[in-house]
Amino acid sequence: MKDKKSTNMKTIDYSFRERLNKVLGGFGHNYCYQCGACVADCPTHRHLDEFNPRTIILKALFGFEDELIGSDSIIWNCTNCYNCHERCPQEVSPIEVIIALKNLSIEKETNPPVVLNIVDRVKKTGSTVSLTELAQKRRAELDLPSYKMDCIDELEKLFKLREML
Amino acid sequence: MKVIPFWGCMIALKYPQMEKAVRYSMDKLGVELVDEPRFSCCPDPIYFKAADKLTWLTLAARNIALAEEHELDIITMCSGCTSTLCEANYHLKKDPELREKVNKSLKAIGREFRGTINVRHVVTLLRDDIGMEKLKHSIERPLKDVKVAIHYGCHLLKPSEIMRVDDPVIPKILQEIIEITGATPINHKEYLLCCGKACQDHELMLNMSADVFESIHASKADCLGLICPTCFDSFDLGQIRVARKVNKEYNLPVIYYFQMLALAQGASLEEVGIKYHKILPREFVMKLQRSGELAAV
Ligand code: SF4
Ligand code: SF4
Repeated sequence: MKDKKSTNMKTIDYSFRERLNKVLGGFGHNYCYQCGACVADCPTHRHLDEFNPRTIILKALFGFEDELIGSDSIIWNCTNCYNCHERCPQEVSPIEVIIALKNLSIEKETNPPVVLNIVDRVKKTGSTVSLTELAQKRRAELDLPSYKMDCIDELEKLFKLREML
Repeated sequence: MKVIPFWGCMIALKYPQMEKAVRYSMDKLGVELVDEPRFSCCPDPIYFKAADKLTWLTLAARNIALAEEHELDIITMCSGCTSTLCEANYHLKKDPELREKVNKSLKAIGREFRGTINVRHVVTLLRDDIGMEKLKHSIERPLKDVKVAIHYGCHLLKPSEIMRVDDPVIPKILQEIIEITGATPINHKEYLLCCGKACQDHELMLNMSADVFESIHASKADCLGLICPTCFDSFDLGQIRVARKVNKEYNLPVIYYFQMLALAQGASLEEVGIKYHKILPREFVMKLQRSGELAAV
């Protein structure tokens, strides 16, 4: 009798694709016809052969959840340069699909810590960069108005509406 | 002309010399800057967007809504802020369903995105509103003999249908505005390459930056000129790490475009905060000084 697993056959996981479809920019993956136009100008591909926007979208088409949003997924090496977005004839926008995949990895907690650290900082201070004494000093030396970012009250309310973060 | 500057976190808190230079230039050009203290982080288009696109969009919409209340356009000085705010403005204007979703949240804080203003990078203000003629007239001390290798960075130009700044494959806007300062833009092979800052693999990021340094090194430019504080971070502070990795000193000074413009408009090196830069070869400072017969650092 043949063991089903030993054939190593993978099937398309439509439920993962449906989840991806629901994230902003995730639906684009459905339009990909695998032409590879997005690959040539991808700076990450140039430096790291196994990073390839076409194959990332192919894996999305198969619904390979673990490879795409498991821990240490290669998607976190995208530079966000938008070259693939410019080249794609099908308006897939691989970069937006990649960011949608990143959104999904937050639910699985497979994201690099820096992502939520930044969100946390914005939540607490309104800013991604901390206000340091050095910055204050330089601003004063340059005769710049003192720094103000008066928004936490409103941000707090907005964050509450989106429970996930 | 009145506009609302969106300084963003990086410029205001890490590289305030860039804010100073923009304020100096805008003042010279008769542009009134109306500061809005209620702005938050744009929020950042790399990590915050990677966490949750909808919250990212909602916070961006809040910032735009604040400017709408003034009935003034936003100008951005950082390519990251440009990316977030232009993209949010574009999608929310175009997609009524998305707008409704976001506005439902904004209602909780008594605000609304209406889609009544534009968000633009400050270099388009120079080119399209102030105009090259007026810009030229504001130059008092042309930066003669200063050769500048341009680095465009990614988010000024792309996505091109949203940014509409220039041809993303053969852009010329930075060449044009650099020429106006009297400096000479220098072509080099990798002028459109990404700085690599967003890659999680550190090695990858350094390799990308190293390619840019090699390309500029070969061009024999005096400095690297750019318009994005994140790229600045990668190339000024980051140059120390790249140099260690490839075992080669590039000693390549990096300068933000508005520092050049302000210098050419009469600002001193001190006023544009050159001394805060990590990579600052003496010959370069002397060249800037000679060009403008400026006060010592
Ligand atoms: S994402 Fe676009 S460019 Fe890339 S392979 Fe698919 S259709 Fe082609
Ligand atoms: S955005 Fe990411 S996937 Fe697309 S070309 Fe740039 S590095 Fe490659």
